[in-house]
Amino acid sequence: MENVDIVINSLVSGVLLGGVLALAALGLSIVLGVMGLVNLAHGELLIAGGYLMVFVMQPLGLSSLLALPLVAVLMAALAWPLQRYMLQPLADKPPESAMMTTFGLSIVLQNVYIMLFHADTRSIQFGNGVSSIQIGPVGFGRIYLIGFVLSIVVILAVHFLISRTAFGRDLRASASDPVAAAVNGVDVRRVHGWTFALGAACAGVGGVLIGSIFAFTPISGATYLLNAFAIVVLGGLGNIFGTLVGGLLLGVLQSLGGLMLGDGYRDLVGLVLLLLMLALRPQGLLGRKGG
Amino acid sequence: MQTQIKPAAHADAAACRTIAYSVVLLAVVGFPIVVPGALSSYGFEVGFRLLLLMTLAEAWNLLAGYGGLVSLGTASFFGAGGYMLMGLMNFAGLPVLPALLASAVAGAALAALVSPAVFRLKGLYFTVGTLALAEAIRLFMINTSYFGGATGWFAVVDPPSVQVLYLWAWVLFVFATIVLSLYVSSRLSIALKAVRDDEAAADQVGVRVFRVKLLAFMTASALMAMAGGLQAVKLGAIEPYGMFGISWSVDVLSVVIIGGIGLRAGPLVGTVFIVALSEWLADYPDVHLAITGLILIVVIRCAPQGLTGLAISLWRRRNGRRTQTGRADAAGAQSALERG
Repeated sequence: MENVDIVINSLVSGVLLGGVLALAALGLSIVLGVMGLVNLAHGELLIAGGYLMVFVMQPLGLSSLLALPLVAVLMAALAWPLQRYMLQPLADKPPESAMMTTFGLSIVLQNVYIMLFHADTRSIQFGNGVSSIQIGPVGFGRIYLIGFVLSIVVILAVHFLISRTAFGRDLRASASDPVAAAVNGVDVRRVHGWTFALGAACAGVGGVLIGSIFAFTPISGATYLLNAFAIVVLGGLGNIFGTLVGGLLLGVLQSLGGLMLGDGYRDLVGLVLLLLMLALRPQGLLGRKGG
Repeated sequence: MQTQIKPAAHADAAACRTIAYSVVLLAVVGFPIVVPGALSSYGFEVGFRLLLLMTLAEAWNLLAGYGGLVSLGTASFFGAGGYMLMGLMNFAGLPVLPALLASAVAGAALAALVSPAVFRLKGLYFTVGTLALAEAIRLFMINTSYFGGATGWFAVVDPPSVQVLYLWAWVLFVFATIVLSLYVSSRLSIALKAVRDDEAAADQVGVRVFRVKLLAFMTASALMAMAGGLQAVKLGAIEPYGMFGISWSVDVLSVVIIGGIGLRAGPLVGTVFIVALSEWLADYPDVHLAITGLILIVVIRCAPQGLTGLAISLWRRRNGRRTQTGRADAAGAQSALERG
């Protein structure tokens, strides 16, 4: 029965981790869905959240739960000018221009992290997350549960923001038809600015939670980005519910993959899944053909 | 990011310019081979890197400049070529040249294998798909024990001298230049550009979109794999972190974007710039990369045709202004005469 317990354990931690992975992918998904932009600096935005937590919030002695919304606000405030002054001017150029600019940004950020914080491995101690929880045969780190709950709360909040508020209405309009939205009085440029800021805020929070579960380095961004992309492709584009499902699925598959093949293969699972999805079912698991 | 298609009347002149440019370039770069003592061994080292990067950049330019396929997966094919060559030399005792040709085949085969995945959903997904491919292969090579694992392989045969390596790199560069010149001047490139500009419309008029893209992808990948093979010969020892490292993909992309995408001289200008920058900041790799990223952002924003395009337009503007001031002076002199 011991083997069954191990599998159940890794399934549970996979689901819990999956919630956090979904939050980490949410920003990428929103920005891609609304702005049609592949943000190649998304991984570095996640890491920015982690560093803000380690080097700003914790030295200030803020409690983790209070620090989280502050990280979100700070990230949004840092990201908004990036969109306004770096990406917005490229709106009339081919879509590759903005994507390559985010690639340039990711190179810059990655190396600025190395210069400022050195190549050391960092991990975040989130509240009392180090202790573990044991329910019958199932045991997992407390941080998995905290991360999962917080992620679901943030994802639901973003869902509410997009489906129920005036900003959300403008955002959905800009996503489905920017020209028609503009004709009807939506300031699409403004919406794009705030969308990018929202994506960065989600990334910051996601980065803090991921950094609390796994350690990170200045160059973890590429792996973060590709995992997030695997989730977006799994769940289908610009679909918050799909992103959640994709995240949970990737979390479970990563845990099982790590269990069966060894921990080194954990990140490979997402990459292979991404390539397979692109080859076999590019519209996403939930999407309809031709969508 | 788009190159202009020149009117037919200028096509011959453009072809002549291209040939003249290629001949001059090949002669200048080949010069140290015929004249002994023209370069120090440090010079040959840097020259080897220049030639290798230029070969990679030419291949990448075919994909991105002509096909609109912006790849972040150069390292996949570079590394695959290196491992193929080293494997054949170590375990089958093959000499360098046939092993290098096998590398090309491996690169093309890998491209064909992954094409169903990376050509889906077109455009931006190609970039992400190729990045995922490079990372997947790197992680696989690190974790699996089949290909030497994280430590990699050591060459059984000693690496040749820098002069010989330079000669080979020059031959590979000449080969790449010929292949790509033929490619670009053939009908194939017209179909490729049509696919780049409007995939749906190209499909409508009977261009076999998938095949056109696949051929360019395989050609570029074969050349990249040969470059990787040469790098493996030079290093004498290969491991997954270096051979499949993302820095190859980043370097090549930066070279072409900074040099001038879709322009004949772009890869050369970009390579010289990037190699000079990296030699200058050799002790500060993080500063070097941060500056490269910054330049990348500025160039995309202010000079979409790169440094080459910028130089051309500045030169034209300067010439234009000179003729204008000339006219103004003449007019001034005229009126002065009339007044006088």
